[in-house]
Order: sequence, then structure tokens, then C-alpha cells
Amino acid sequence: MYHFHAHTFLWRRILSEETLSLLLAFFVFVAPASAITRLQERSLLMYTSTPGVTTTYKVSFGYLSPTAVGSVDMLFCNDPIPYMPCVTPTGLDVSHATLSSQSGETNFSILTQNTNHIILSRAPTVPLASGLSSYTLSGVVNPTDTSQPFSIRLRTHSTMNATGPQIDAGSVRGQVLNGIELQAQVPPQLIFCLAQTVEYNCVGTNDVYYTDMGQLSASSTLTAQSQMAVGTNASGGFAVTASGTPLAAGTNVIDSPTTPTVSKKGTNQFGMNLVANNDPTVGEDPEGPFTNAVASADYGVPNKYKFVSGDIIAYSPNVSLMKKFTVSYIVNSSKDLRAGVYTTTITYLASGRF
Amino acid sequence: MKRLKSIVMVAFAVVIAAAYTVPTLPASAATSSAMSIAPKKNYVIDPGKSVKDKLTIRNLDRNHPLELSLRVVDFTFTDDGGTPKLLLDENTPQTTWSLKPFLKVPEGVTIPAGGSKTLNMSVSIPAGHGAGSYYSAIVYSTGAPGGGNVGLSASGVTLVFTQIPGKVNEKLTLKNFGAYILPMQTQKPGYVFFTMQKPQGMAYTLQNDGNVTEAPVGSITIKDIFGNEQKITNVNPTGSLALIGQTRTFTSCIKLQSQNVDFNGDKSKANNCVEPDLWPGIYTATLDVFYGQNGNMTQEVTGTAMFWYLPGWFIILVIVVLLVAFFGGRKLWYNLQEKLHGGVRLNKKSSRRR
Repeated sequence: MYHFHAHTFLWRRILSEETLSLLLAFFVFVAPASAITRLQERSLLMYTSTPGVTTTYKVSFGYLSPTAVGSVDMLFCNDPIPYMPCVTPTGLDVSHATLSSQSGETNFSILTQNTNHIILSRAPTVPLASGLSSYTLSGVVNPTDTSQPFSIRLRTHSTMNATGPQIDAGSVRGQVLNGIELQAQVPPQLIFCLAQTVEYNCVGTNDVYYTDMGQLSASSTLTAQSQMAVGTNASGGFAVTASGTPLAAGTNVIDSPTTPTVSKKGTNQFGMNLVANNDPTVGEDPEGPFTNAVASADYGVPNKYKFVSGDIIAYSPNVSLMKKFTVSYIVNSSKDLRAGVYTTTITYLASGRF
Repeated sequence: MKRLKSIVMVAFAVVIAAAYTVPTLPASAATSSAMSIAPKKNYVIDPGKSVKDKLTIRNLDRNHPLELSLRVVDFTFTDDGGTPKLLLDENTPQTTWSLKPFLKVPEGVTIPAGGSKTLNMSVSIPAGHGAGSYYSAIVYSTGAPGGGNVGLSASGVTLVFTQIPGKVNEKLTLKNFGAYILPMQTQKPGYVFFTMQKPQGMAYTLQNDGNVTEAPVGSITIKDIFGNEQKITNVNPTGSLALIGQTRTFTSCIKLQSQNVDFNGDKSKANNCVEPDLWPGIYTATLDVFYGQNGNMTQEVTGTAMFWYLPGWFIILVIVVLLVAFFGGRKLWYNLQEKLHGGVRLNKKSSRRR
């Protein structure tokens, strides 16, 4: 037993709490390292970026490693990452492309080619040219999908047929675009309507664009509500901002809380939110099956109200079917508030996102 | 004279009564505020050339005409998201990326109830104009309302982006990368290093110090402690942009679910993030994105990140297991001691006494 204790004593000292903490910290914070040699200053110049047309591509890069290069592999894929599966860009065809010119490291010719793959080959030579080398491919048929970019995955090899280990690698990026963008599917649209009450799909409203809140009193909270419906099939989604001034009568202003705040009778306060409340009872939760469209965090807390001109009050980060929001307004006034007709106009602005 | 006096008094009473009665009736507005517009337009235009395009606006209200005034305003970013901050003040200085001098739209339009109209618009870039990204917004405004305490005004916005090809200055810097709680989740949106809620998204934040908008492409690989990988093959599925000067956070779903939805009678594809297949534990993630305009250098941004996903049930389970292990181990230790020392139980008190 003595020997057992004597042995374990040393390990217990080594594996103290501090050592274990250090090991844990090392485990958590040390990031995996990777070593990849990249072709330098890579670029792609598409002489025409119109979808589906036959054009010329100029691929440029600088060789990095001082190793004999016998071939350059050019693989055309949607994804630039070399280890990801290669999906051929829709409509692209390089099977009839020709190497019309080259500069820098030269003496290449096309060894093999198909729809999305070209191998340039030469007798293996150590790159001598400093700076960039360029290869111009004529007769390339552009992709047709304007919605996403495409890439050329480049690899250099010592062999003449692009087999064996790669020397340097890297990707270049391109995208076809129209002078006027043609939409492959349904043109994106943004639908928006606003009134005191609106129908869910915006086909009807009650055509009332103001709301009377009644007589101000220090002992009660005035409430009102309006509605808006919004939706988009644009992949970027939508945003609705509310702009305007707080309620005012001449130079007398009922200020608005700049953070979500509970309704306080007897104080000057004008605020809004986009959810159902019970203090006071006003408003409704957003209606609609899609969860993408939401009230902004500051305007989505029940019984807390805020208004800052220019704030985003509702948004969707991507496609959203129609969603109906009910905006609740509350007004409180102090007994010292000067008499007058307090008014404001709130402009609700629905926009796409970028 | 008496009769005249009574007539005047009656007339005065009628006027007073009318003045009090009329505003309390809900006035029916003459125009609609239900519109369908294009949320975004993209163009590529060489210096000295122009494009002519159409703006289609629909009035969804079946009962009233839609009267809109159009104007072009500049915009910038609101935060690290994709919501535009419209510079609506007439006195706001023109931005350096403004498309206002080149973009022409009609000043106003009236669309009959339930109908639509197509307006001509054009973007003309003067010869010799420098390369880069230029953008502004077309704002469609309904008229300002009259009456009430809170007036409502609706506006729609089309964002217009134009790329002028040529040599541009591009610079994206990675500012943050990691697991991300999305707005649709119950927790507050944002980056997380340790989370008890399963993160549905990954995000990366890029600072754009160039003179063009950038839409990076690439992939993210997430690895668990056993080396099992999950790949996000499209890290910018909505083609989101980092505007000039913006620090933009791009989010993408760890697990994406696409569904075809019927939007206003047209089929559209909607992508939603769903619960990813993540087990409790530590994860590492690698980011590899590319950017670069046509004819310019393709540049790469890489990053690594780590995050812990430890749900409440798992933490409780670990505590229970540790407690069981501790007490079980202690019991085992005592049993072992008893066996080794022939039934004499060793403990601190008895040791001290000896």
C-alpha cells in the first residue's frame, strides 16, 4: 500500500487542478493549423459577362513554389473550395475552348478538355517568370445562372497530365450578369399595405389612415392600433422602418422612450409595439404561418413600448409569405402637459434587403 | 333685427355642431396604400452606356386607386445586417456611391384599383466614369393623411445597384466568425461561444474597406470532437452584400430546409433553418470564402472558430454521472481499503488518533 501511495503521489502532484486547467485551456483555445500553398494574385477576366454567350476568359496567377510545373488543371465548379463536390455551373461549356494566348510561364497547350475541365500541359519546367502568368481561353460558353457565382479551381502539377501530388492551388471567381438582370424564376416582389385595419393578403383595407386617440388625461392611458401586412419572395427578405416625430402640439412634445418601457400613467409618453399587450389591453400578436418575419426585438416585448424614428420595427431575413402586424400605440400625459391637439404622422417604409 | 339675430345664432350653432361632428366620422381616404413593387434591381453598365428598364407597380386594393410619388434617395447600412438606412432628408449630402445623378424615374403615377402600371426607368453612366459600385433607392410614397392624432403614411422602396466594371479597390477583413443564434430562435440573436440552445446558424462578419459592394462565396466546415463533419456549402445563399464601409454579418443555416411556397399566386422557393444534427459537446469550424470582381484579383478569407453546445439536460446528466462516479468510487475505495487492511476501516479521524 505504501508503494501504491508513493507512486500515485507523484501523479497526483502532476495532475493538479492547475495542470488540468491548463490542459483544458489548451484544448479549447488552440485552433487547428493548416498549411496550403496558394497560387498568388489569382484573377479571372470574363470579356463578356452576359449569360450563355460565347466569350473569352483570361485566367491570371503567380506561381509560388520553385518546383517544375508540367500541367495546370482548371476545373469549373459552382463552389470554389477544392475539397467540396464539384457541380458544373449551369450552361457553362469549355469543351470547345482554345488557348489563344499565354504570358509569363508559357509553352502550355490544351491536353484534354470537356464541359467543365481543361488541362494545360507542357514539358515540366521550374517557373522562372516573375510576376503574373496569364492564359487566355477563347470560345468559352458562359454559365446561364445569374443567381450565383462560379469558380475555376486551379492546381499545378509536376506531371504533364495533372496527376500525382499538386504543387500549388487556388480558385478564381466569376459571375454572369445581365445589363438588365433577367430573373430565372418569378420576379421578386415586395407586397405592403397599411391602414387602421388591413386584410391579411392586402386585397382590402378599411382605408382609414389616421387614428384618434381621444382626450388626454393624467389618470388614464390612451391607446390605438393600426395594421400592416407585408411579404416578399425575394431571397434577401424585407424590412419595415417607422419614421416620424413624437406627438406634438406646436412646441409642446410628448417624448417617446428610447428603450422598451412599461406604460406609466401621469408621465408624458408616446410609444408603440407590435405584440398583444394587457397593460393596457391593446394590440395583437403577428399573424401568419411563416416564422421568418418577426417584430424587431425592441418592439416585440409585451407591455413595453418604444419609438425611435428610423427604427426597424419588423423584418424577415429571407423569403416570407404575407404576415400581418398590428401596431399598438399608447399615450400617457402628465397633469402639467399644456393643452392642445397633439398629432404626428408615422411613415412606414417597406424595403427589400441587400 | 331679432329674426336676423336668431338666424345668425342658428347658423353659428350648425357650424359649431358640424365642426364637432364631422371629424369624429371615419373619413374615407381617396387612395389605396396597398402596393406590390420590385424590392431590388441590379445592373452592370460600362462607362458611356445606359440601360433602360421597367418598374412594375401593382395596386392590390380592389376599391381605390393608388397614387404614388416617386423620388430617388441615397442609402447606406443601418447596422451589420442587410437593412438599408434611407437618407430621406432633402438636405442630406450626396453619398460618394450615389446613383442619383444617373438614375431617372417618373415623378408620380396613379394606378387604378386592382390594376398595375409599368414605368420606364433608366440608368446612364457617363463616359470615363470610374469603376465601382453605385447604389441608391427609389421611394414610392402615398400621400400624407389628414386628421387624427396619429396619421399613417405608407412607402415602398426599390434598391438599385449598379456595377461599373474595371479595376476596383477590394478589401474584406474578417472580424468575427462562429456559431450564431438566429433571430427566429428564442435566445437573443448573436454569436455564441457557449450555448445551451442548439445553434441553428453559423455567421461571419466582414469589414468592407473597398470601393465596391461584395458578395462572398465559399463554405464552412463544422467538426465535432470525433472528427465528424458537417458542411455548409453555400455561405451566402441569399447573395447578401457588404456595402461600402460596412461591417457586415453574413449568416447561414447549419441545416437548411427548402420548400416551394405559393406567394401571391406564384411559386417561390423559401429556405428555412431547421434544427441541425448536433450532439452536446465542443465543435470546431473553418471558414473559407472568396470574393473578387470580374477582372480583379480573387481574394480569399479564412478563419477558424470553436463553440460549445451543452444543453441543460446534458449538464444535469453530467453532474449526476459525476456524483454517481464520485460516491461510487469512494465506496469502492473504502471497500478496497477494508479488504486490504483486513476489515480495519481507515479514515481521517482514526488516522489522527493513531
